[in-house]
Amino acid sequence: MKLRGAKQVHYDSGPNMTPLVDVVMVILIFLMLAGSFVGQEHFLVSNLPFSEQGTGSASPPPGYIPDEPLDIRVDRRPTGDGFIATAGQIRVDNNQDALTQQLLRLRKQLNAAGKPTDTIQVKINPAKDVPYKHLIAVYEAALRAQFERIAFATSH
Amino acid sequence: MRKHGLPQSHTAHPNVTPLIDIVMCLIIFFMLVAKIGVSTGADAKITIPATILGQEIKDMGNTLTLNVQEGSPGMPFVTALVKDEVRELKLIDPTNGVRQLFAELSHHRNGPDGKLGTADDNIDFKVIIRGAEDMPYAILEPVLQTCAEAQVKNVNFNTRRGADAVAAAL
Repeated sequence: MKLRGAKQVHYDSGPNMTPLVDVVMVILIFLMLAGSFVGQEHFLVSNLPFSEQGTGSASPPPGYIPDEPLDIRVDRRPTGDGFIATAGQIRVDNNQDALTQQLLRLRKQLNAAGKPTDTIQVKINPAKDVPYKHLIAVYEAALRAQFERIAFATSH
Repeated sequence: MRKHGLPQSHTAHPNVTPLIDIVMCLIIFFMLVAKIGVSTGADAKITIPATILGQEIKDMGNTLTLNVQEGSPGMPFVTALVKDEVRELKLIDPTNGVRQLFAELSHHRNGPDGKLGTADDNIDFKVIIRGAEDMPYAILEPVLQTCAEAQVKNVNFNTRRGADAVAAAL
């Protein structure tokens, strides 16, 4: 007797996955397009110094050692298209890299004079008309010079 | 002689199991990484300065993002997310003299009682300044002064990654 069913092709008939794949693909594309991802923006961190005078004055905590101040004066160029940064004998005309190098040299001098970096308080002292982007450029130059404590002071 | 006929025709479906595995992994990844529906109140219309250096802030829950730009000439226009709504915080409200920005910062920093040195102080509170790159310092200065008055010591400046940094990362 011939068995008909023995040679029939066996189909592995599972559930129909097509709708699932469609929905999952739509969700995937939505998440890829709608998501805002970490990494496009970041932050420059500032720690305001303790001050017994002026706005926001507060009593320093016990054992607090006053910081070594380092003032960076920032003015707008007369042409209006850049900044001039002055810190002691340093004077840089609208060049962030040059300012970084000068500040790096200054930090090393201060360190050699026995002033650790974490006790040096950099105060950026801008004129009122200096655009914010130039202040951030000066701020970043101080960070690149590996200063740790940077803050903005009142305008001059 | 035995005849070999053509193989029996049947529609062979591709195995979609590996595809679904990969796609599910991608979905889980995007769900974890993407921030959908989480608003810090940051105003995306403001063009912030670009920098190469910068840090990530892990704990965005204990922050207040201040969008700072020039409103009327010479006056700051500050907005922030207050009670699930982005609204203006005036330095001094001309109608009633209330210092809205100071009150909001003080509420976050010093707790509901507004007093410094009490149990509800929030010393880790951070302010994020999201400032327009072309605004003069005269606009930003009163905002920073208000932060100092509210005893907020941790002020962060939101910047976008510069082109050099993006190229280096890629």
